Amino acid sequence: MTILIETRDVSRAFAVGRGLFAKKRMLHAVNGVSLAVREGEVLAIVGESGCGKSTLAKMLLGLLAPSAGAVLIGGTDARSLARVEIARRVQPVFQDPYSSLNPRRRIADIVALPLEVHRVGASGERRRRAVEMLERVGLPARLAPAYPGQLSGGQRQRVAIARALVMQPEIVICDEPTSALDVSVQSQILNLLMDLQRELGTTLVFISHNLAVVEHIATRVAVMYLGRVVEEAEAGALFGAPQHPYTQALLASALTPEPGLGVPDLGLGPAFPDPLSPPAGCAFHPRCNRRFAPCDAVEPVLQPRAGGRVACHLAGV
Amino acid sequence: MSLLDVERLTVDLATPQGTLHAVRGVSFAVDRGETLCLVGESGCGKSMTSLALMDLLPKAASRRAVRLSFGGVELGDLSPARMNDLRGNRIAMIFQEPMTALNPAYTIGDQMTEGFRRHKRVGRAQAEARAVDLLGRVGIASARERLGQYPHQLSGGLRQRVMIATALMCGPDLLIADEPTTALDVTIQAQILRLLGELAEEFGLALVLITHDLGVVARIATRVAVMYAGEIVETGAAADLFAAPRHPYTQGLLDCIPVPGRTPRGSRLGAIPGVVPSLVGALKGCAFRSRCRFARPDCETDIPWRVDARGHGARCVLA
Repeated sequence: MTILIETRDVSRAFAVGRGLFAKKRMLHAVNGVSLAVREGEVLAIVGESGCGKSTLAKMLLGLLAPSAGAVLIGGTDARSLARVEIARRVQPVFQDPYSSLNPRRRIADIVALPLEVHRVGASGERRRRAVEMLERVGLPARLAPAYPGQLSGGQRQRVAIARALVMQPEIVICDEPTSALDVSVQSQILNLLMDLQRELGTTLVFISHNLAVVEHIATRVAVMYLGRVVEEAEAGALFGAPQHPYTQALLASALTPEPGLGVPDLGLGPAFPDPLSPPAGCAFHPRCNRRFAPCDAVEPVLQPRAGGRVACHLAGV
Repeated sequence: MSLLDVERLTVDLATPQGTLHAVRGVSFAVDRGETLCLVGESGCGKSMTSLALMDLLPKAASRRAVRLSFGGVELGDLSPARMNDLRGNRIAMIFQEPMTALNPAYTIGDQMTEGFRRHKRVGRAQAEARAVDLLGRVGIASARERLGQYPHQLSGGLRQRVMIATALMCGPDLLIADEPTTALDVTIQAQILRLLGELAEEFGLALVLITHDLGVVARIATRVAVMYAGEIVETGAAADLFAAPRHPYTQGLLDCIPVPGRTPRGSRLGAIPGVVPSLVGALKGCAFRSRCRFARPDCETDIPWRVDARGHGARCVLA
């Protein structure tokens, strides 16, 4: 399959102040990530807060320049592409539909804006396409002149999806698209994303911390921990036989509505590592209950394993 | 009589548009050793219910109840001073966001011991000894040093552990936890939920847990009350309610969630079309009927509460 977008050993660090006079320290939000997104797939990036998944999303969108490594879009380094060119091919849907839509613009104008930016058609034609897109995402045409403030959270997220799709981009990056929504609305948005993905053949990068949702819609999954990909595999393989102890803990911690199972003991220590001073060796070792000799000294690298890749010293044992 | 017995609790909020009936005649009871989960989506009145129990409602809100009894004492009759003696002492609460619930300008030690010293009238040394003991119980290492730290020096998971330890300082009988793990990562959530369960058992607490997450509910509740538009629409033992939900809203909510191994991957998920009705002004009949696929004309009348022999009840004409 064609690779649409790819990161090659990409890193991003931020200088973080610790007070007025203290020296700034570097926070390595993303640290040497190589991932390829193939045409037609739903690649999920999962991990907990601070693992770098949103920073990675911003780099894929061209909103943030990598401090090392490169993002390649269709084989071309994103640095040599114009902003509008990247925007035509890669579009975002963000978590919070309350802050991602301009409250002072009408719904139809919000959806038509990408067409305007890319100078597609005359204004009547743009408006017609915007309304068509609104209907496609399940919003009635009568909402076209409304403002975001008049819409519910689920409706706003539909507007954000319509805006992302109106230029028919190759890839849509969804960063926690349902986390801010109620359960009953969340399922409607997921259904919509699955429908659009099938009908339009759009490639999706789906960033989430909700494992049950990821298992439901992803074709491939990359698990991140403290700025690195620790495991990557086809969804079936990853959920069927997770290799990395962190992936195993993440899967075990997904609480499904099945009474009588109780809350599992993950066997993890309470020490959540500080991204400002990541531990030596494997970043996960202070919480891992299967650590052994090399874990606190040697950093494991991603290696092919069971149809995917995993970065764990146990994988070689 | 149960430790906490609530009968027909209502909370009204004065708004510019009129009176908003946030909680509309909610009844439930909790005993020691039990975990009652109040579950529902945003705006269903679950947080207002918990604030009403604590007498911490916003100024614009008013509370009424036929009965609001805690350990045989009618909370509605208590003076603010007497309520202050109970709050944080015999009834404790944990909030969703530990970063806003903890005061950033005071040390962990100050905040943990303040209520204990006031309620139990003991000195600093004794209060700090208890704080150290409880921090250890909630799994915080080097507890003595933590007392001198400020909230920003702790991670989210640690802050929530501090909140739990603080709530337990006075040895409460009833612990109310409003979305205690929603702001936390999933692996930390599992650890905190296990901890809450263990502590509730060890201290013989009655636990009222408020959440929107049916997964959390299924795993820790003894009893569940599902709320919709300010009402309890279904209640029962967790096992009964999840095995055979009787209200279409509960059924609908469960259909919305993919369950690995049960929901075929990539299949369409259930959905509940429509939106929650406005709670401003009078609401007659079933509040869910505009979104219900089983709705029929008699849903517009007042619907009696129907309960079976196992205490599994629902407010629905079909139940």
